[in-house]
Amino acid sequence: MSLVHPIASLPDERTPLIVAEGVNKHFGSAHVLRDVSTRFYQSEVAVVVGASGSGKSTFLRTLNRLEKHDSGRIVVDGIELNDSTKNLDAIRREVGMVFQQFNLFPHLVALDNVSLAPRKVRKTPAEEARRAALELLTRVGLEDHALKHPHQLSGGQQQRVAIARSLAMQPKVMLFDEPTSALDPEMIKEVLDVMKDLARSGMTMIVVTHEMAFAREVGDRILFFDEGRILQEAPPAAFFDDQRNDRIRAFLGQIVH
Amino acid sequence: MSGLLSLWPRSWTRARRSNATMVAATVALVLFMWLLARPLASAPEPIGPAAEQFAEGTRVTVELTLVAGLAGIVIGLLAAVGKLARFAPIRLAAEFYIWSIRGTPLLVQVLFVFLALPMIVPVQLSDFNSAALALGVNVGAYNAEAIRAGIQAVPKGQTEAARSLGLSPTQTFTYVVFPQSFKIALPPLVNNVVALLKDSSLAYVIGVVELSNIGNRVQAATFQPVPVFIATASIYLILTTMLTQISGAIEYRLDVEQRH
Repeated sequence: MSLVHPIASLPDERTPLIVAEGVNKHFGSAHVLRDVSTRFYQSEVAVVVGASGSGKSTFLRTLNRLEKHDSGRIVVDGIELNDSTKNLDAIRREVGMVFQQFNLFPHLVALDNVSLAPRKVRKTPAEEARRAALELLTRVGLEDHALKHPHQLSGGQQQRVAIARSLAMQPKVMLFDEPTSALDPEMIKEVLDVMKDLARSGMTMIVVTHEMAFAREVGDRILFFDEGRILQEAPPAAFFDDQRNDRIRAFLGQIVH
Repeated sequence: MSGLLSLWPRSWTRARRSNATMVAATVALVLFMWLLARPLASAPEPIGPAAEQFAEGTRVTVELTLVAGLAGIVIGLLAAVGKLARFAPIRLAAEFYIWSIRGTPLLVQVLFVFLALPMIVPVQLSDFNSAALALGVNVGAYNAEAIRAGIQAVPKGQTEAARSLGLSPTQTFTYVVFPQSFKIALPPLVNNVVALLKDSSLAYVIGVVELSNIGNRVQAATFQPVPVFIATASIYLILTTMLTQISGAIEYRLDVEQRH
């Protein structure tokens, strides 16, 4: 499939999939998101980077309301995120999420981890859900591990199951919250490879990560978070190779890549 | 103690060994209750002549434990969920229930249900039902704390993963949180049921003819407390052993991480 995303050239003619406008969030007295505004488009891969505590994970988590924002607007696929549980359920079906700690269900085998939500939420018949789950596990290279429990799998394998689990709901957008940060170095590649495949297939992805090589290779746009603000949004080439901001230069200098 | 679980062939799967143990222990329990009178009948004085009474008392003790135990699990689950509820009146009601039941003697509760409750509501329960109600309500309060601890021990990430997949709060609890919390809560729940089996002896004070009551009657009639109470205690010991065999099998089965 084509790697070319037309968004970069024609941003304003497309309807954004996700709109964030003036989003603020406090944890107690800490102001962790300050007037964050941005848009994410269909088939775009946006990579969110920044130091620990810069608010990048919190921002990601507000996009499917694992964290409530205090003020501002977030609209996902035309539905506003607010206290309406109906809206929330509708949005969560469309937004997949992959966690740093995988969060697989330990009492279920890989296949059931993947097929649970389609069966219970989409009411897919069990046999069909199993078949679809097996296909997804095949796609992430784990068809031989379908009947294993999470504890029998390596970290990289668990994260691939977690990706398959999110894909099973056929989301319109996938959120990745530092998906490789809990992995041993030799397992990072297998997870990033799955994510690259996913990007190539046209999936809309928002990825919080410290993997700068991935950001440069796969990202369409880099968002740099600093003290709860988006300090810069730029295409990878400009961000990495023509960086004028001293703060970001210092950050990039500290990251080994 | 591993007991029955270690008797099965090593080639058997975890589920099969667990099932075999549960079936064997349950069959043993039923056979024990059904046939207890026979070996006891051949025992010397003062047990032999009272064999049928002992068997009947044992059946009542087991029935009382089963009825109160099942009620206690349901009550415990409701109270645990109630205590974690966001809606304050439900939470306060659950807290009040647990606080008042755990803070008062079971003996007083048994007497209260049998003697005082009929003065408050116009229903007179039989002695057996009164005892079952008091015991069920009592063990429910302890179960509630065990189940609550189990629910809270399930990492928050599990709920987040389930909710972000679109599962509703109820589905998240049913398919993700509860199965994991049940496994964590099982050992303390078994403790509670074993305690319940022994505490069912307090039904004696309101005239339920259960095992301890029989023991006391027989020793009063024969003036031989030593053999009578050794026999009584032995029957309790056999019952609690079978109970822990069954629960051990359940625990073994749920232990998919194979820590044992």
